[in-house]
Amino acid sequence: MTLARIGVLSLLALALGAGIAGLAGSGSLLGVLTQAVIYAIFALGVGVLLRQSGLVSFGHALFFGAAGYGMGVVLALDWMPAEAAIPVVLLAIGVLAFLIGLVIVRVPGIAFGMLTLAIGQMAYLLAFRARGLTGGADGMGIHWPATLFGYSQSALLKPATVFLIAWVSMVLTTVLLLFILRTRFGAITEAIRDNEERARFIGIGTTAPRAAVYALSAVVAGIAGILSSLNTGFVSPENLHWSVSAITLLMVIVGGFEKLAGPIIGAIVYVMFKDLLGGYATHSMALFGAALIAVIVFSPHGIAGALERLYIRLRHGPGVRRESV
Amino acid sequence: MLSIHLFNGLVYGALLIVMSSGLALIYGLRRVVNFAHGALYMLGAYIGYSVALRSNFWLALLAAPAAMAVVGLLLDRYGLRLLQDREPLTVMLVTFGLLLILEDLVAFIWGKGNHSLFTPDLLDFPVHLLGHEVPAYRMGVIAVGALVAVGLTLWLRLSKIGLYVRAASTDPVTSAMQGVDTDLISAVVVGLGSALAGLAGVVAAPFLSLSPHMSSDVLIDSFVVVVIGGLGSLAGAFAAALLLGMVQAIGAVYMPGVSVLLPFIFMIAILICKPSGLAGSRT
Repeated sequence: MTLARIGVLSLLALALGAGIAGLAGSGSLLGVLTQAVIYAIFALGVGVLLRQSGLVSFGHALFFGAAGYGMGVVLALDWMPAEAAIPVVLLAIGVLAFLIGLVIVRVPGIAFGMLTLAIGQMAYLLAFRARGLTGGADGMGIHWPATLFGYSQSALLKPATVFLIAWVSMVLTTVLLLFILRTRFGAITEAIRDNEERARFIGIGTTAPRAAVYALSAVVAGIAGILSSLNTGFVSPENLHWSVSAITLLMVIVGGFEKLAGPIIGAIVYVMFKDLLGGYATHSMALFGAALIAVIVFSPHGIAGALERLYIRLRHGPGVRRESV
Repeated sequence: MLSIHLFNGLVYGALLIVMSSGLALIYGLRRVVNFAHGALYMLGAYIGYSVALRSNFWLALLAAPAAMAVVGLLLDRYGLRLLQDREPLTVMLVTFGLLLILEDLVAFIWGKGNHSLFTPDLLDFPVHLLGHEVPAYRMGVIAVGALVAVGLTLWLRLSKIGLYVRAASTDPVTSAMQGVDTDLISAVVVGLGSALAGLAGVVAAPFLSLSPHMSSDVLIDSFVVVVIGGLGSLAGAFAAALLLGMVQAIGAVYMPGVSVLLPFIFMIAILICKPSGLAGSRT
């Protein structure tokens, strides 16, 4: 993607967000949309790891939940103002994930997924146990200060404002990731993903770049976690549970992980679908399971892949092959 | 005090042997990390519960594995065989989708509340063991674990079909060229593995409670066992299951604060020292 195109698309995306915030009048719809956008950022984190390193994480709820708990603990103990706490918590998550990554990216394939699952479940159980700090199973409320970045809390927590904050964060995160992946770092990680042995032959150390992608994806999940804690004012061990990681992975696969837009589409479709069904069916998970299987079997590149194919067919007529994946 | 905990560790280890041997067999042949295994365990427990309420426990002990064997055959024929050329991640997520569907199905049929199954009369008495009283039923669970371990090992080592299974697990293409019917072999293995999940479910029903979320804990512990043992290795899984049961039991005595974390710490420690697991992976 050229720079000009990224610029135009991100401006369009920002305008689209403003349009949605203006049009979606009812508070409940905006609430659902906000949740969808927050999950979209979370899924973007899981997706970028899969896209860039071929690594499947079953434990990214760790970083999503840790961001919420991090904010909650820092604000409760009053260590620093909230404006400073946000970057500090994200940095801490990045460092933590890089250190974990240095150890676990050495383990190939499925075992890596199981390790992330294990580490995530450890965090889940720890949050349960550390009642004094985290409130255990009851979760903890997050005491955001009365004013944040100069805006009063009541102004910030209007449904339309929260939605716009989440939407702008999503667009900025996507643009930032696009830029990071265009650099030499992006090229190196792709080389390692495609053939680790050859990457080593040409003198690239393979552990640190993969750990860095892991850390990057963790920070993105952490951004989603902080937004979620702003949106709900609450964090509980449920945020850390492995099923949250698995559902997010499901969003990524349904959306398609080869494009950055895929996880975003997947998350928004998932949350909207769940909200639509929630009123009618108590057995929505079975429908998701069925939808997941259908998408995987019939559209291996996810919704984003199917849309791209459709676009190419509309533009170039039938019979033209997809050039890039 | 410690010996009773070791005994309970052995009971849980035996359950994990039954559960994870099915996972390891299916992984060995199909290279699939089967999330649906947890759902089959749960279905086995619930079907066992319903059958035992209407007739008796011993019929349930036969009916649940038999029903799961049928489900396994269907899963292999209309799932895994059709997806065998796809990415392992894809197939893994299909089995995850199946887990979601089956969990909802169980909640739909049996409700979301907890159930518990009575201990069969025949084994409902205490046994004196090393100065402790232990329920005879738990001795029975250990016996089932031992039977499964010995039975599977003998079957794989001595029977002709066992030889085919080992051949197809090592190299399916070459085995097929040598005239092994690999589709039949994988139907047998997935059917048997699923029956073992059903067996684990019905055996666990009298001492673990039944709920639509019961699959999660045992499934994760079984993954830990299979990964520690070395993916696809049966002997490694047996050793890892017993070790994990013991680690949890000893941890509950000496480190009660962190005992729930021990399986994971144990797995991380082993994988960092030996990334391919205790027995070494065949992939």
